[in-house]
Amino acid sequence: MLNKGKAKALSLSVLVSFAFAGSVNAQVTDNDIVNDHLTTNEVVTNGLGLHGQRYSTLDTINTQTVEDIRPVWAFSLGGEKQRGQESQPMIKDGVMYITGSYSRVFAIDARTGDELWQYEARLPDGIMPCCDVINRGVALYGDLVIFGTLDAKLVALNKDTGKVVWKKKVEDYKAGYSISAAPIVVKGKVITGIAGGEFGIVGKVRAYDASNGKLVWERPTVEGHMGYIVKDGKKIENGISGGAPGKTWPADLWKSGGAAPWLGGTYDADTDSLFFGTGNPAPWNSHLRPGDNYFSSSRLAIDPDTGKIKWHFQTTPHDGWDYDGVNEVVSFDYQEQGKTIKAAATADRNGFFYVLNRENGDFIRGFPFVDKITWAKGLNEDGSPIYDDSNRPGNPAASSDGKKGDSVVTAPSFLGGKNWMPMAFSQDTGLFYVPSNEWEMEIWNEPTAYKKGAAYLGAGFTIKALKDEYIGVLRAIDPKTGETVWRYNNYAPLWGGVLATAGNLVFTGNPEGYLIAFDAKTGEELYKFNTGSGIVGSPVTWEMDGEQYISVLSGWGGAVPLWGGDVAKRVKDLNQGGSVWTFKLPKKFAQLAQN
Amino acid sequence: MRVFFLIISVLCLTFFAQARSLDDIVESKYIVIAVYNDYLPFSANVDGEAIGIDVEIAKEIAASLDVELRLKWMTADESSEDDLRNNLWKGHFLDRTKADLMLRVPYDKDYKLKRDDVGLLVHEQVHMFAPYHTETWKIVFDTARLEAVPTMALFQYHPIGVEIDSIPQFYLMSAFRGSMRKNTRQFDSLLLAVQGMVNADVDAVMGLRSQITALHHQIQTTYSNEPQRFQLATNAFPLLGKQKWDIGMAVHADFRALGYSVGDIVFGMIDDGRMANIFAQHHAYFEIPEYYKE
Repeated sequence: MLNKGKAKALSLSVLVSFAFAGSVNAQVTDNDIVNDHLTTNEVVTNGLGLHGQRYSTLDTINTQTVEDIRPVWAFSLGGEKQRGQESQPMIKDGVMYITGSYSRVFAIDARTGDELWQYEARLPDGIMPCCDVINRGVALYGDLVIFGTLDAKLVALNKDTGKVVWKKKVEDYKAGYSISAAPIVVKGKVITGIAGGEFGIVGKVRAYDASNGKLVWERPTVEGHMGYIVKDGKKIENGISGGAPGKTWPADLWKSGGAAPWLGGTYDADTDSLFFGTGNPAPWNSHLRPGDNYFSSSRLAIDPDTGKIKWHFQTTPHDGWDYDGVNEVVSFDYQEQGKTIKAAATADRNGFFYVLNRENGDFIRGFPFVDKITWAKGLNEDGSPIYDDSNRPGNPAASSDGKKGDSVVTAPSFLGGKNWMPMAFSQDTGLFYVPSNEWEMEIWNEPTAYKKGAAYLGAGFTIKALKDEYIGVLRAIDPKTGETVWRYNNYAPLWGGVLATAGNLVFTGNPEGYLIAFDAKTGEELYKFNTGSGIVGSPVTWEMDGEQYISVLSGWGGAVPLWGGDVAKRVKDLNQGGSVWTFKLPKKFAQLAQN
Repeated sequence: MRVFFLIISVLCLTFFAQARSLDDIVESKYIVIAVYNDYLPFSANVDGEAIGIDVEIAKEIAASLDVELRLKWMTADESSEDDLRNNLWKGHFLDRTKADLMLRVPYDKDYKLKRDDVGLLVHEQVHMFAPYHTETWKIVFDTARLEAVPTMALFQYHPIGVEIDSIPQFYLMSAFRGSMRKNTRQFDSLLLAVQGMVNADVDAVMGLRSQITALHHQIQTTYSNEPQRFQLATNAFPLLGKQKWDIGMAVHADFRALGYSVGDIVFGMIDDGRMANIFAQHHAYFEIPEYYKE
């Protein structure tokens, strides 16, 4: 009886999945994921490949044909919940999977824009998301669609029905944790970091068995905390991060060191390494914690099988400016004196672009990628900063007489020379396309502050634009020389991801709402389309039925509109939204171009 | 799934979506008062039962207005400023619900008149009023390991517990050129710090006077065979900026009439000793704000 019932349920689900997914109904395999950067008919990783290059080999849409692309459908995320849409679409077998603000997931027919299913996480009202109620996308594996929620859970949904297959509490949201990044799947494991404010959290990277959500390993990103690995169902000790507590922290501050790896990670198959970046150390006042404060504001290379830290590179030791080190590490190779250099690049919040040896984390070179950096005078030979101590925010103890402390003006602002928005690397031009912002911040100690009605020493701050004409700058940067080959200035801050293609094109969106295509070599603007609300998501491209498609989410929000001052004035008239825009180059125009 | 969510959100909207005027409150026969969750002895929701000083004050206010009390539980954000936004004027970031009245808001002229970086009043959306007690810092210590706490100098040699990301933490880790830093132990909450003292991890704990006095009573009760073991210190806190401040309430700036009405109720409670009595019942030290001493 029991078996019969099971068989019946199974055949039904097969029917359902066929009805939804059309002719092909393959599962996402490890092979699909590892080769995502080579395949053009699907997008199954965040970053169009685990290494995060955001480069597509498609060239049907190119500098000649891009003016002929046209929207084929738009999809509304609906409801009153129109907030920042930072998701990158994923495409598998003609179905698009996206996340929306407030921890929602949608499956959409990629040909028509029809909704297949929608999932909304029930969020408790005690969550404390730091920077808007955003989500950055799903991971796909097998027949699962996996994403993280604002109340710090991982949820795996059936790709055909949207029904929950497993759900895992990663951390307790009541302790101040949440998840907004897209998880990454490597070797059958779904790997996620965690976000958290100044609530005394400890950053951790965790790997779960993608098929059932069981923990495989966990790795704290603060020196002194024990890592664990699960063997035969038992959680066993797997070495203390950094060897021992308190080496680079005073007193017991390592117990709550922050360093949240809130933006997720990338993976390099060559060296079999995960790359995760970490947030700023806690507490925010750097004068309380003399020392480097490992592994805050760093990039970590982690063994995907065990969670061991292979190497680390700290971009901002003893951070006092809130320069999170979370920005993505993009693996790429280049030739120098006849040798192939296995490199990795990252553009930090602190305004410096770093090229590292991805095999051992050694510093190869670094250079500013923004016009103004004042917190450091430059980089040492090992890549560590040469501080300008006059531009470190002051010690609140100095203002404990109840008066406002001295102001310090520092560039870049804490929102960073570059924030979360991912850059792209073109294998054709060898250039990185970096979405950056030109702004500075003024910080002072604020003794007239309260927390839960208790007196508190806060920090007051304001962000200021450096130029009247623009804040955002999309830069084409040569990682071998540090040279900016071209730049595109944008009035509002840039907050969306970038895509490079073999069609000699670079795509990105701006808060003003335009999806823009540039000539990858010259920066000439070749196409733009107003999506109706600001773009803070990342565009993707794929091929379907012999035509090349491009898709991007539109929906203004994220961290920028949350801050006041100068920047708020620039963006206050931008309208909210929530939609997916999908474009293609119709066949006849592609053929015309070939003739 | 979607239909279900629609129903939920509609329910939420009909249940206290807006801060309201005094007339609307009286007419609807209920008032929504925001208190912090998990913040004893002030307020907490323990297994569905609302307890604490602020809860009792809220009950008195509702009773005086002759309306039903509905509590809005606040999860504390990074500052009181954020809590005012989330609970009184802009509303909660998930469903935009608001309260009519919020308790445990600083009553401080400088704070009230604070201006932002472009010179606008930070708190122009709210009206702050009715200080109901004066707060300060206090140390509790274990006489088994410390004879007395005459000055802070002692904590260059003795471990002391503090709540993470609080003024006591800043103070102990930075004052006197950081000479007390290595003896400062941080805990996720003051309750855990006091437990740490009971477990001999630290010799003393510094925190909010209301909390320290209430927790002191609690451990005295637990250690009733040694009633004198844990003592409250009377030391000064040199170099600490704000030594004392008042705690009051706030309403949306559009509804000052409600503020005046509640202000009268609070004055009555201070005047006839009900306020002092509520603090006494919770074993928390009560100090009348300067406002009422003139």
